[in-house]
Formats: sequence, C-alpha cells, structure tokens
Amino acid sequence: MQLRIIAVIPAFNEGTRVGAVVRAVAPYVDAVLVVDDGSTDNTAEAATNAGARVVRHIENCGAGAATMTGIAAARSQGASVVVTLDADEQHDPRDIPSMLAPVQDDAADIVFANRFGRRNRIPFVRKFFNAIGNGITFIATGRWVPDSQCGFKVFGPRAVQEINLQTNGFEFCTEIVRESVQHRWRTAHVPIKVLYSEYTLAKGQSFANGVRTALKILLRSFIR
Amino acid sequence: MELTAYQILTPAASLVAVLYAWSLVARKKKTIWEAMVWTIFWFSIAAIALFPDLLDFLRRITGVRNRQNAVFVTSIGILFFIVFYLVVRLEELERRMAKLVRSIAVRDMRDDDQ
Repeated sequence: MQLRIIAVIPAFNEGTRVGAVVRAVAPYVDAVLVVDDGSTDNTAEAATNAGARVVRHIENCGAGAATMTGIAAARSQGASVVVTLDADEQHDPRDIPSMLAPVQDDAADIVFANRFGRRNRIPFVRKFFNAIGNGITFIATGRWVPDSQCGFKVFGPRAVQEINLQTNGFEFCTEIVRESVQHRWRTAHVPIKVLYSEYTLAKGQSFANGVRTALKILLRSFIR
Repeated sequence: MELTAYQILTPAASLVAVLYAWSLVARKKKTIWEAMVWTIFWFSIAAIALFPDLLDFLRRITGVRNRQNAVFVTSIGILFFIVFYLVVRLEELERRMAKLVRSIAVRDMRDDDQ
C-alpha cells in the first residue's frame, strides 16, 4: 500500500529556524505542513519560502492545539502517515526513515522517539524534568513510555484517523500516550539523535511551566 | 450504627460518581486506568464519610480537636470546590477557544486550496 507521508511542524516564533527545518525534512516526506501558532515574527513567510504549506492560527494556542491542527490539515490533504517534529532544529530529520519503519512494516500505529535510547549529550536538568514527565504520564495513563515528552513522533494510518487531542499546551504529549491506550494502538520506540543548542535550551520549558503542565495533566485525567 | 444524613448522602453520591465513570469507560470516553483512579478517589471519600475515625491521623498531625473548627474545615472544603469548578470552567473555555482557532485555520487552508 502506498502511504502518503506528511510532516507536521508546529511553530511559534521560529522564523530564524523553521526554514532550515523544512528544507531538511522535505526529502524524507511527501509534503511538509507548518502550523504557525500565532507567531509575531516571520515564521509563516520563512516556512512558505522553504516550500512548506502553512496553516495559521490567528491566536497563539499552544503546541498541543498546533499539533492537532496540523494533523487535521494533513488528514484533509490525504495523509495516511504523519510525522511530527519540533521547529527548533533539535530533531535530526535523518532519523525519519528509522522512525517510519515500524509503521511501514505495519508493526506499529504510533512511533515514539526516544532521546535517551542512544548516547546523546542531554543536560541533567532536561533528563530530570523528562523523568518527572514520564512519571506523571504513567500515573495519568497507566502506560510507561521511555520518552513521553518528545515532540518527534510518527502516526500511522489508524492513529491519524483516530487521534483527537483536547489539550492545548505541552500536556498534549501525555494526551497522545493516553490516546494510544484508549484506542489500543500498537506502539514502537525508536532511539533518535537530539541536537541541543543554546537556542533550543533557552526555548525549553521553565520550571513554572513544567509544574503548570503537570497540574493540567492530572486535572484533565481526573475531570475527563 | 446510627448514620447521619451526610453519611448516607456522601456514599450515595460517590456510588453515582463511580457508576458514571464506568459508564464513560463503556462509551470509550474514559480509560480503564482513569476510571480506577476515579473509583479509588470516590471510595475514599465514601469511606471517610462512613468511618470518620480514618482521619484520626489528620487530627494528630494538624491538632484540630474542637468541633467548631469543623466549620472552618467545611468552609475550606466549599472554597476548594468553588476553585475546582472555576478551574474546570476555565479549562473548558480555553479548549473551546482553541477549537475555534483550529477550525478557522483549517477552513482558511481549504479556502486557499479552492
């Protein structure tokens, strides 16, 4: 079966980076879709110039909302497989083929990248907060994912059709794990390379943001 | 054992909440894990209502002994409920706004295609 693969890149004020990401991703997929999440810089223009299709949020809604918009837009473009990546160059597009393999082999409905599955230079603070994120995700969903908070994922045909994210912010990563439990998707975990720079570290979540995200995850799993 | 109205109503409400949670599981809106967490929470509430002595450890920790203090504790409980309700409503509003923004974004893209 011929799979139409679309890359979805949620972006907020990534005008300096998104163009390079689009160009690097393009050779591995059929189309690249950038969701401009209400940026105030030239993100949309840079992505368009690099050859991406741009979907624009008129207001900043968060990474979760942008990802879901991207998946919905990809669906309407006939995507059978969706690859999501961050717009800040921290993911290496050369990992896309190995991420796609489990879906192409019909061995998984969703593929989670694992930044800790191979030797990467990850700052201790990042490792620590990711461990907390993994723990909270396990409490909320009952499923252990070694790198639940990574934005690099591949959604297979079934996941593309069934996914329906309700959360807007960074808690969407946990919600994706919840969706995989709810819909009984087959999962796979693929070790990837991660490229942390001063830029990506500076753009990372603050402690306060992390606490807020954790509270939202627990609240949502309770009131749902 | 003589039961107060509170001790009858709270377990009854807990039972309704638990049944509602499992009905959501049957309708595939809640996962089994979430329903289990919900069940443990509401059974704990019911257990505390029926056997208040379970909270003796709290009395030991906080030192609350007077019954009058129960008024304050109840007030805090009510305030907690109000805050919880507001947070839930705020979440709902945020979700609706995002849904609107997302719909506009996808609609604009389709319009561009035509």
